[in-house]
Amino acid sequence: MVLFEDVSKVYEDGTRAVDHLNLEIAKGEIAVLIGPSGCGKTTTLKMVNRLENCTEGTIKVEGKDITKVNPVKLRRNIGYVIQETALMPHLSVAENIATVPKLLGWKKSKIQKRVDELLELAGLDPAKYRYRLPDQLSGGQKQRIGVLRALAADPDVVLMDEPFGALDPIAREKLQNELLQLQKTVKKTIIFVTHDMDEALRIADKIVLMRRGRIEQVGSPEELQQNPANDFVRDFIGEDRLSQIFPDTSVEVVVQDPRIKVSPKMTAADVLDIMEDEGHETAQIVDSYGKWHGMALLWLLKRAAKQNEKVTKGAKKDRRLYIEDGTLRDAAEMLADQDLPIPVIDENGLFRGVVTHAGVARLTISRLTRYRGKEGK
Amino acid sequence: MLNQEPFLQLFLKYITRYWPRILELTWQHLFISLIALSITLVICIPLGIYLTKNEKLSPYVIGAANIFQTIPSLALLGFLIFIFGIGNDNAIAALFLYAMLPVLQNTYTGIKSVPRHLVQAARGMGMTEYQILVKVQLPIAMPIILAGIRVATVWIIGTATLASAIGGGGLGRLIFSGLASIRNEVVLAGALPATILALTADQGIKWLQNYLDPKNRAIRLAQKAEIDELQKTAAQRGRE
Ligand SMILES: Nc1ncnc2c1ncn2[C@@H]1O[C@H](COP(=O)(O)OP(=O)(O)OP(=O)(O)O)[C@@H](O)[C@H]1O
Ligand SMILES: [Mg+2]
Repeated sequence: MVLFEDVSKVYEDGTRAVDHLNLEIAKGEIAVLIGPSGCGKTTTLKMVNRLENCTEGTIKVEGKDITKVNPVKLRRNIGYVIQETALMPHLSVAENIATVPKLLGWKKSKIQKRVDELLELAGLDPAKYRYRLPDQLSGGQKQRIGVLRALAADPDVVLMDEPFGALDPIAREKLQNELLQLQKTVKKTIIFVTHDMDEALRIADKIVLMRRGRIEQVGSPEELQQNPANDFVRDFIGEDRLSQIFPDTSVEVVVQDPRIKVSPKMTAADVLDIMEDEGHETAQIVDSYGKWHGMALLWLLKRAAKQNEKVTKGAKKDRRLYIEDGTLRDAAEMLADQDLPIPVIDENGLFRGVVTHAGVARLTISRLTRYRGKEGK
Repeated sequence: MLNQEPFLQLFLKYITRYWPRILELTWQHLFISLIALSITLVICIPLGIYLTKNEKLSPYVIGAANIFQTIPSLALLGFLIFIFGIGNDNAIAALFLYAMLPVLQNTYTGIKSVPRHLVQAARGMGMTEYQILVKVQLPIAMPIILAGIRVATVWIIGTATLASAIGGGGLGRLIFSGLASIRNEVVLAGALPATILALTADQGIKWLQNYLDPKNRAIRLAQKAEIDELQKTAAQRGRE
């Protein structure tokens, strides 16, 4: 589907970003390019839609040499997602998704149908999100829309350059799963760039490990884990920050952004509205100086709202950990007692994030799978 | 204090007697300003766009516009007499030179301020360079460009009062002849409409800025969709 034949890229300043690359990516496959920063992943990707032209070799998409195709036409047939999302800030969600179909001159009704269909596919209610601006979306939602935009005109090939790189681990994992789910129905040929080995192992059919513009090894996640071609590959896969983690490790490693933060000035009723709308059980109350004022709980809020109180009246302040001395063990114990997020603050009372059950579980699971991978080799 | 009563009376008398002339001069004033503004926009917006593609030229061109802007406006009019002679042409040329900077500069910075990754994404999706300009760069730069146009418009309307000093028309006629004859009511009869013109133009562009704001546009889109939906269901019901 996508074929690199002895492809090299030398930039004008003499940088050899890609060096004699040979690679075949099959139809319907997710190929993940991974490697240290500056190894030529982005360059490789950009050569496929000719945002950069290769200086040697040929790239073929569906058997056709891409230099023989008009670049504008070529790009309209290849989806493109980048880390910065790059949704057009002046256009609504629907218009953003409709970008390529519009360029291709689809009929208005067909575009509208397609947009709604895609939004539904991503679990976003079209009636609610169609006319939102990108500014009015969360980071994860923006990235979802970015992916939908790339799929809108039903291209066969989709290029993704660290699409989930800017998201927190929980949101990232969620989007990875959604992408895999989506891929089952759409069956695209996807070239996906990432920095994150966990991500590569999770989503790749084929991992392409690069270094200094060259390919070190190509193979399925299992192949790379079980038969690393050389020390570099072994180190890169084995590079294991997780093995450094013990029960006495600071809770810092699992702190994440909370789903929702509210100001202590808000009324209990307003916060209750937001939480019920979005299905949150808890909300962190943080003022504009970053100071933590407690964790609002749904049932406490309901009572406070009836009495027309401020949100702080519906909050709990005794459940918390200090980032300076809280350990994973402490977090695990607290979570075992009660399955609510644990707010983490520092000694100045500033809010640092939360620890959740899912966060700790994720860490444990990654550790286990990692060790299994290591023993297998 | 003593003068206040008679002055108001004088003023009212003047305008009731000469309103057709005041109206005509206001119209002239507006005409000169509009021509100067149109020339400014037609030249400076494309020039600003051109400069974003030829960065090396930009310090020179923007520098030149800056110089014109720094020359006192009356002096600029004086210089231009050598080129255009006396009359409205001269005035319009001077107004244009005078108002170039904000439009040129804001077009240039507005387009430069569009994040590179947006342009890159647009190109990556298969927009032509022209489509990138029209569908991405200009709309995103529009608030900044409009802010420049707003400044230029107010300057032009204000400075157009000087046109009469070099034989052009406009409300400056009243102001200058009023000053010369020490008749304050005549000065006011010129200054008041000029001020109203400037304020109206300013508010008009402010309204436009607001109207084009993506947030408001999104709200209009949503409302329109809602109305369409209602009509559709109503039509369906009608059929049943
Ligand atoms: N436009 C350019 N001109 C010159 N050199 C460039 C250009 N773009 C990238 N490079 C260089 O080419 C090499 C490969 O860059 P590339 O962006 O492909 O790396 P990457 O693997 O995507 O890195 P990262 O993981 O940091 O995104 C780097 O050394 C980089 O500095
Ligand atoms: Mg990169």
